[in-house]
Order: sequence, then C-alpha cells, then structure tokens
Amino acid sequence: MNQWKNFSKGLLKENAVFVMFLGLCPTLGVTTSAVNGLGMGLATTFVLVMSNLVVALIKNQIPDKVRIPAFIVIIATFVTVVEMVMKAYVPALFDALGLFIPLIVVNCVVLGRAEAFASKNNVVSSIIDGLGMGIGFALALTALGAVREVLGSGSIFGLSFLKGDGMLLFVLPPGAFIALGYLIVLANKLKAKTT
Amino acid sequence: MAKKESNFVSMVATLSVVALVAAALLGGVYEATKEPIRLADLRKRNEAIEAVVPAFDTVPSDQIVKYGMDGDTLILYPALKNGIVVGTAVETFTNNGFSGEFKLMVGFDNEGAIVDIAVLSHKETPGLGDKMERDKSDFHVQFMGQHPDEFNLAVTKDKGDVDAITASTISSRAYCEAVQRAYEAWKATR
Amino acid sequence: MNKLIVSPSPHAHTAESVPKLMYGVMISLLPAFAVSVWFFGIGMLIVTTVSVVSCVLFEYLIQKHILKVPPTHLDGSAVLTGLLLAFCLPANIPFWMVMIGALAAIGIGKMTFGGLGNNIFNPALVGRVFLFISFPVAMTSYPVPGQWLRYTDATTGATPLGIFKEGLGEQTAGELMQQVPGYTDLFIGNMGGSAGEIATVALLIGLLYMLYRKIITWHIPVTILGTVALFTGILWLVNPEQNADPLFHLLTGGLMLGAIYMATDYVTSPMTRKGMVIYGVLIGILTVIIRVFGAYPEGVQFAILIMNAFVPLLNKYFKPKRFGKEVQHG
Repeated sequence: MNQWKNFSKGLLKENAVFVMFLGLCPTLGVTTSAVNGLGMGLATTFVLVMSNLVVALIKNQIPDKVRIPAFIVIIATFVTVVEMVMKAYVPALFDALGLFIPLIVVNCVVLGRAEAFASKNNVVSSIIDGLGMGIGFALALTALGAVREVLGSGSIFGLSFLKGDGMLLFVLPPGAFIALGYLIVLANKLKAKTT
Repeated sequence: MAKKESNFVSMVATLSVVALVAAALLGGVYEATKEPIRLADLRKRNEAIEAVVPAFDTVPSDQIVKYGMDGDTLILYPALKNGIVVGTAVETFTNNGFSGEFKLMVGFDNEGAIVDIAVLSHKETPGLGDKMERDKSDFHVQFMGQHPDEFNLAVTKDKGDVDAITASTISSRAYCEAVQRAYEAWKATR
Repeated sequence: MNKLIVSPSPHAHTAESVPKLMYGVMISLLPAFAVSVWFFGIGMLIVTTVSVVSCVLFEYLIQKHILKVPPTHLDGSAVLTGLLLAFCLPANIPFWMVMIGALAAIGIGKMTFGGLGNNIFNPALVGRVFLFISFPVAMTSYPVPGQWLRYTDATTGATPLGIFKEGLGEQTAGELMQQVPGYTDLFIGNMGGSAGEIATVALLIGLLYMLYRKIITWHIPVTILGTVALFTGILWLVNPEQNADPLFHLLTGGLMLGAIYMATDYVTSPMTRKGMVIYGVLIGILTVIIRVFGAYPEGVQFAILIMNAFVPLLNKYFKPKRFGKEVQHG
C-alpha cells in the first residue's frame, strides 16, 4: 500500500470531521478556542496512534467475538493515560477540556479506526493510518477553534487583536454549528478541486 | 499467524490478559503522575489564594478550616507570613448565578476588609456574566479595601453599593451573595 | 408571439407577483415607520437605511459571486428583510452591527438554504437573534424615545418588559406599573424598545391594511395575540400580585411586530388555515412561557423561530386539498 496515500487520506479525503462526520461531540463541544481544539486534537491523535498500534499488534490473538470489548479496554486505557498526564503537566488545558477528555473513549473515530483498519492491517500501516486520521481530526478542530476564536473573542491562539468582545454567538454552542457548517462547505469545495 | 478461535476459554483468557495489562499500565502511570497532579492542584489553589490576600509564605494545611453553610462547604485558608496570619482566603460559592453555581475566592485582611476577589469557576454567559472574571473587566476592583460592615454588598438596583455588570444584574447579585457568605463564614470562624 | 407555451396546469393567473406582494407589505409598514422616526429620529433613519442597503447588497453579492445565479436582489424580498430587521433593532445600535445582522439575515438565514422560498427560518429574525446573542449589551440598551438628533450617544433605559422581569419577586405588579409608561403611551409607542416594535397602534393599522389588501389572512396574528391574551389573563387572574395584566403583555415588547409581520412571512409559515391556527397558538404559548418563566424579558423572537422549524411538519399533516380530488366520506 502506498503509505503517503494511507496517511493523507485522513487529512481531507476521508477527514473524520468534515467528510465522515465522526467525533462531532468533542468537535462542537471544546472548540471555543484554537488552543483547545489543538489540544483535543493532539490528545485524540495520541490515543488513535497507540490504540491502532496495539490493536494491529495483537489482532490475531483476539477471538472475534470479544474483539470490541478488548478494543474498548485498550482505548480506555490510553485515554486514561492521557487524562492523568494532562492533569499532571498541563492542568490549564485539562480544566478547559474537562469532561471531553474521558469522552475520547466513545469517540467513534477511535473505535472506528481500530475496527475498520487496524484489525485488518499490519502495524506500520495502522500507525500511519492513526497518525493521518488523528492529524486530520486535529486540523479540523484547530480550524474550527480558530474560526470561533477569531469571530467570537477577537483573538487567535490566545493573542488578542480586538479590544472587547467579538461576536459572542461563535463562542456559544449555536455558533459551533454555524461555523462547522461553513467549514464543511469549504472542505467540500477543496475536496472537489483536489480530486 | 492464524486468527484465534472464539471459544469460552480463549475469550475469557484474552479479555483477562488485556484487562490485566491495561490495569498494570494504568497503575504505573498513576504512580508516576500522582505527585505532579498533587503539585499542580496545590499550585492552582495557591495561585488563587495569592491573588486575593497580601504577600505570604505559607498556607499551613493543618489550619485550613471547612465551614458548612447553606447546604455546602466554604473553605478558609489562613495565609501566614513569618508565622503571623496576614489574611484569610475564603473559597465561597453561590447557587444563584445566571447558569447556576459559581465559585469565588475572597481574601480578607485581619480586620475583615476585602483585599481582593478572584473567580475560581463559573458557567456564566460569555460577554455578560463572565465579565466578573478579573481579566475581563474591573468589576472586582470596587470591592477592594471595602469592609462588608460598611459596604452594602448588593447591587445599586437593590439599594446596595455595588455597580452591577452591564446587563448582568443576576450574575452581579449572585457575586455579591457569595462575597457576603464568605464574610459571614470568616466572621463565624474567627 | 406565435409560440405555444406548454406548461402543466393550473393555468389560472392572477396579477400577484413577488414584488407586488412585497411592496404591499412595505406600504403597510409606513405608519409604523413614521411613528418610529417620530420617537427615535435620526437613529431610526440611519439603522433602516444601513439595514436595507446592506441586505440588498449582500443578496446581490452572494448570488452573483458565490452562488453564481442570476441576482434577484430587486424583487423586494431583500428590501423587506432589511426593513423588518431594522424594525427589531434598537435605534442606537452601531451601523456596523446592523451590517453584520444583515449579513446573518441574508447569508445564513436565506441564501444558505437556497434563497427566497427555501429558507426555513424568517431571515430578519435570524439576523436579530444573531445580533442579540452576539452583542447582548448593545442589543439590550434601548434608547429612551424623544432624542431626535442622537444616534449611538442616546441615553438608554429599560423596556417595560425589562422593568417587570427585573422587578417581579421583590416588588408587586402594581408597584412596577408605576415605573412603566401608561397605557396611552404604550399604545402610541412612547416607550423604550426596538425601533419598530414600539408603534403598537401603527402596526395594527398596518395589519388592517394587509387584511384589506388580502396580503395575509387573519389566522396567524389573531391566534398569536389571542393566545397571549388568554394565557397571560389566566396567570393574571391566578396571581395579580406577580403577573402583569394581559393588555400590558399585548402592548409591550415585540409581540405586535412579531405576530403581524414576522410570523406571517409566507415562506416560513404554514400553508393551510388549520396549520396556521396551531402555529399561532403555539407561538403565543411559547412567547408567554419565555416572558414569564424564562430568563429573557421578551420571547416572541425565539417562539417564532422555534415554530418556524415546525412548519414543514405542520404542512405535512395539514396538506392543502388537492384540486379536483374526490372527497371521501365516512
């Protein structure tokens, strides 16, 4: 398999958020700023890569009928690791992401990749797939976070360029839906151009 | 390598092994991060205390007082410098914010005057109630140096001395209520 | 003209067209506009001009350059959206906020769904609510009427509904009635509020004109106003100490503007009489629930938008009878 293709499909062509609409709960929930989006995206990427790696490693040792519980345990383990490490070393980001970190366990992207890709492919391909999917997810969340932060708070990555407040709607949940809708339009346009 | 067959023994064995390895890994990470997490929590708490009381060097953990009031607990942290109490930070709450509960840290000097106030956590509306955060507006400044016995902790609309945040009377009222509660707890535990 | 045009039935024509209807609505808005200019002066003129021009301009730009379809910006619907948007904004709101509201109304409310006829939500209300959530302070600082020459520097004050929302609980309705303008003032529009919503009597004249010209039917406005009167009447009878009377509820806030002009928008209201009645009753109930029990003093904007979302469902259950269809008995 062409590994570049394997990696790059997650960025746009099969992007988890913009194309497959997976993992929308954290996508809408945490992206009030670009940093939050990036943090969530990187945490998810770590879990994706690690769970894909482990699932690909032990896929032949796991009986078919218990593969889903086994995958869930593996994913939950890595999520808990992320949670504890974040709490210890970046408590501010942990406070901002809050409940959404443990919720990575139920992010469809993670289980979806374990089930649909890692359990059928070798270790290297699975890691690259997890990396591509995770970075695509992180890019989408960062883009959405950046748009919402620029419009809603008048700042980008915490750097304020506007005195006072922006359009608060974009910090609030309805703004997340509106901004995501228009980003999906853009992504579709981009996709149509590249293929 | 052939795929393992799904029979009772293999399923139980596999899941047990997976769960055991996961538990071992988590135990290891837990041990490794236990101390950093404790330090991070302590630092966060101390930062909030530092923001609201005069300069101090320790908050002795055996002098922290928990004071039950109105169905919840307020926590009083005495701040010591060279062994002498220079002020008390009170972690207080209100349930009457626009979006329910929020928590404040209120610092008092030894006479009971408010030194400063910081918001610990809240769910108030961005752009309205969240103006009570220290870096979003100067709302907290009007409390600094005021003594609750002489300064009526109520918004001007309710004939008090506090200028409410524009268009956020409910949040401002709740803020005042939390500060008043902190003062009562401070007075009661002197 | 020797070309034969083949088209599906029906072939009956009327002289009605989109521009003609739109201009009919605009004429009916004239009295309310005059009253608003009388009370808010230059602010009302600036906000209305900016709003109308921006709506038309954004419609043109979006259709021409983004959707790449023939622009329909002059069919009157964009002008009407601009007018209605201006009517439900405070007259002292900065002009750039009006432009953002116009962009939200036309861009998000109308063009995203495919333009006139396809939008689910009333575009002017989408613009208003967008601004209301985005700039809560500017959108709740209403100018005190009578300051003709002042725009953004006008002195602001609370609306009658705002005074009640703040005061109830600590004061009785009777005490609060002393702090709001009297019924005559409420009736002619001498009160704080959005630029066009205050002119109660002028809006009612507009309603009569539209009914006379058969631009709209009575069903939606009458059921909304009737439901609000009934519901607030019951609350008032149960506890007159803590509830405003029904007349006060009818005369204040955006209820008249909403019931007469926002809820009756052709595209976003039900097609059949039965549907209209249910739609109107539910808007009335939601409005009172938000006003009396909710966090906001006024709820008609949210009530209409919420019910807009139910219109396709109402249309599905109350289909217009097909012409020529056999009537089934039993």
